[in-house]
Amino acid sequence: MSVPLLFLAVLVYLLGGFAALALNRVGKAAQYAAGLTAVAAAAIALAAAIPILVSGAVDVFETPGVLPFANFAVRFDGLAALMVSVIALLSAATGVYSLAYLDAYAGRNLGFLGFFTNLFLASTLLVVTVSNAVYFLVFWELMALASYCLVTFETEKEEAVRAGFLYLLIAHAGTALIMLAFLLYFYHGESFDFAAFRLTPLPQPSRDLAFLLAFFGFGAKAGLAPLHIWLPRAHPAAPSHISALLSGAMIKTAIYGILRICADCLGASAWWWGLTVLAFGAASAVLGVLFANAERDLKRLLAYCSVENIGVILMGTGVGMLGVATGRPVLAALGLLAALYHLVNHAAFKGLLFLSAGSVVFRLGTKDMDAMGGLARRMPWTALAFFVGAAAVSALPPLNGFVSEWFLYQSLFTASGGHLAAVRASAPIFAVVLALAGALAAACFVKAYGLTFAGVSRSPRARQAQEAPLPMLLGMGLLALTVLGLGLGAPWVAPVIGRVAAGLIGQAPPVMADGVWVFPVEGAPALLSTPLIAILLLGAVTLPALMAAVFSGARAGRRVDETAWACGYNYSPRMEITAGGFGRPLRAIFGQLYGLGARAARPGRATARAFQGLVALATRVEPAWNDRVYDPIARGVQGIGRRVQALQIGDIRLYCLYIVLTLAVLLLIATRW
Amino acid sequence: MLDFTQFLIGLLQAAVIVLLAPLFSGLARVLRAKLHSRRGPGLLQNYRDIVKLLKRQDVRPAAAGWIFQATPLVWMGCMLLIAVLIPIFSRQPPLGSIGDLIAVVYLFALARFFFALAGVDSSNSFAGLGANREMTLAVLVEPVMMLALFVVALLAGSTHLGVIGEAVAGGGITAQAALWLGALAFVVAAFVEAGKLPYDLAEAEQELQEGPLAEYSGPALALLKWGLAMKQLLIVALGLAVFLPFGSPAAFSPATLPLALALFVLKALALYSLAAVVENGMARVRFRMAPNAIWVAFGMALLSFVFYLAQV
Repeated sequence: MSVPLLFLAVLVYLLGGFAALALNRVGKAAQYAAGLTAVAAAAIALAAAIPILVSGAVDVFETPGVLPFANFAVRFDGLAALMVSVIALLSAATGVYSLAYLDAYAGRNLGFLGFFTNLFLASTLLVVTVSNAVYFLVFWELMALASYCLVTFETEKEEAVRAGFLYLLIAHAGTALIMLAFLLYFYHGESFDFAAFRLTPLPQPSRDLAFLLAFFGFGAKAGLAPLHIWLPRAHPAAPSHISALLSGAMIKTAIYGILRICADCLGASAWWWGLTVLAFGAASAVLGVLFANAERDLKRLLAYCSVENIGVILMGTGVGMLGVATGRPVLAALGLLAALYHLVNHAAFKGLLFLSAGSVVFRLGTKDMDAMGGLARRMPWTALAFFVGAAAVSALPPLNGFVSEWFLYQSLFTASGGHLAAVRASAPIFAVVLALAGALAAACFVKAYGLTFAGVSRSPRARQAQEAPLPMLLGMGLLALTVLGLGLGAPWVAPVIGRVAAGLIGQAPPVMADGVWVFPVEGAPALLSTPLIAILLLGAVTLPALMAAVFSGARAGRRVDETAWACGYNYSPRMEITAGGFGRPLRAIFGQLYGLGARAARPGRATARAFQGLVALATRVEPAWNDRVYDPIARGVQGIGRRVQALQIGDIRLYCLYIVLTLAVLLLIATRW
Repeated sequence: MLDFTQFLIGLLQAAVIVLLAPLFSGLARVLRAKLHSRRGPGLLQNYRDIVKLLKRQDVRPAAAGWIFQATPLVWMGCMLLIAVLIPIFSRQPPLGSIGDLIAVVYLFALARFFFALAGVDSSNSFAGLGANREMTLAVLVEPVMMLALFVVALLAGSTHLGVIGEAVAGGGITAQAALWLGALAFVVAAFVEAGKLPYDLAEAEQELQEGPLAEYSGPALALLKWGLAMKQLLIVALGLAVFLPFGSPAAFSPATLPLALALFVLKALALYSLAAVVENGMARVRFRMAPNAIWVAFGMALLSFVFYLAQV
């Protein structure tokens, strides 16, 4: 029953998309057509996915299709259902949100935006369910192109166009690698079906090669460091509800690809694969959040933070693959559980953060945190939504980010007990990296919430901002409730995701929860109960409230001063700490990683150096490898492109000559062999 | 698994921490005065301060929002919850099934998150800087603390605080060098975390540790001062429970309660005295030097981990 529902959801998306396209002239109607169909399709997709998640069944569908060499096969298993629910959740939230949010873009091609949004969502749904490599690539490409059109929606902004081009370039480099991995399989097994991939006996060197191709191919799309560079440019360039979809859903499809190919099809057969994934994940986690700390652009900060969370998800994936390779099913299930749990969590809280940041941008018209401040009074619900997201992404108990990171700690802890020396010696170090990333994320979101919503307003528009319209609040509310549910409901969510994780590697579902408690391994003492933490915390908060009430009584009273104390000087909002100031100590401590050290070492006179330092502080801190690695590559590709252009003069006779020459060469080859 | 007796023991632990915390922070003040050859305040001065502050008027700047007002309550709430989760009267934590070692470390982070945000929310420029420093120190301290605690947990085979206490006190740990180096790294990290010299001077009003507190007054300030004292005592209690559970009874019983309480107070007294001597023997250094000390602590924690791998 689930597959037909899935097709129905895709159909509704497409119908909505074409309706939006047809209604392009009537902007508001296009906006509603796309938004409402997205919500409806999301409900249908959820109805398709939830029975599979609950029952653990697998629904398959296969037809010869239009291509002679590839069947159109759909396999709706636990992992696919989990991905479909994540996509549907975000689609529902952003669909509602866009009903009001797109008013900011009134008079533009909203029909096109709606069409590409729905096309993007439909192709994403198909990417995670289709189980044939050819169709997978077709939908993968469709998703990439649709998202490219979404990123470059504001075509008059040069930043967006350049970000889109960079994104397209890196996405296609990744796709090329993935294609090679699939061809490797076809070469050995003569089939493009994922089911056949599982049975194909690849020799180990080919397996290693396929793993590397798939990991880096999908990694480029996931925003894995050092291939992350496009992500913090492309995601913030799109309208905010699209940013939420890109960061929440699209980069997760790349994680899905890694899980499907590396863990499922290839079976994680060598232990160094897991360690590689773990190491790259750890590097992404720390670097992503470090760069986030240096940002003053709210949406770029969130985008860098996505790099961090992708890293955390990959760390879990790596532990899971290690477990498979070393024959420890408990460890494998635990690591994959941590990865999948964090994947779902990140979709929920990053979607929430992008939507609430979008509300701020909607009202203020700027993404610069130094022009915000004090918005909690003007936009209380938006502030609350952002706060829930910020606390969750900082892994604070009892919210969902903490639960998945807790499982990751436990999986690293379990991994440390193995027999492999390399794993024993590195797993606790990765736990330290996770702790570092967690502390950095907390610092980053104290900055993000503090500068945006707390304190004093630092611009006239911030002083006059109004609460976001109701549809936008509803979209945020849906995701905020999901964040709370995934956190406080951990004892009930963990077994469901645990079954998906175990199903991926062909294990029996692990026992991870009992009543309101969760534990990492069956038989271990109960170790965590987020619902009880929440209840006790609530209880514990009332005690000091009572103490204060009893002592102070009514006679003390309250007084509200106009401004804060400023050492006797006249107070000014400019005295408050800025985004640059907030990142300053971390930049000094981790200067090496930021590449600032290299900049300061440039030869020149002392004054010039001092000035450069000042400018470097005032402007955003960019990772140094942007200009060292990526720009040369981009220039090189453009250079090759210009040379290839010489072939195309536009003369039809010349093109005929090309065709004749090609034919002659092919004939020559055919007759010789 | 959550039975009522355990819950009551937990409440008792929380009550002891609440009541004793100002005594220990008062002790730190007395010791500091003695080391400075001053007469200094009496041992009970912090109780008097808190009672006095609780009766005072609450003054806050207009820009301060809900975070600023909620922070004293949340901070106190987190500390009370941690007091329930770590073992104090015996080697077993009363409600250990609710949160393990990792949960305790992250509950400290939750309190800190609110504390730093309150600093920014107060719209005071000192408070903003103080908040920034608070979070930067956490970035440096948390990984070290985590590594030191992780090594002990690996030695004991679980992140459950009761299992760790049992293993350490029962002599079930073979790699003694790893254990003690880990303890040393934890002490250095905890020292920085507790807001002591050489990077902070909590008594100086314009210093930045006091930063997030700059705009607080009256009952809110009283609660926060009380809560900060509780945090110091809880870090000591966590260290004692993990690294020095020797002598405490294996399980709680009313008969052993007075002895266990006396033992806890004595151990904490020893650690506070040690901390006072170290703290007052040091000069105040610039904040940006903090990474140096942390690298030393990280080195120790790493060495402890290497010793764990070598099982010595």
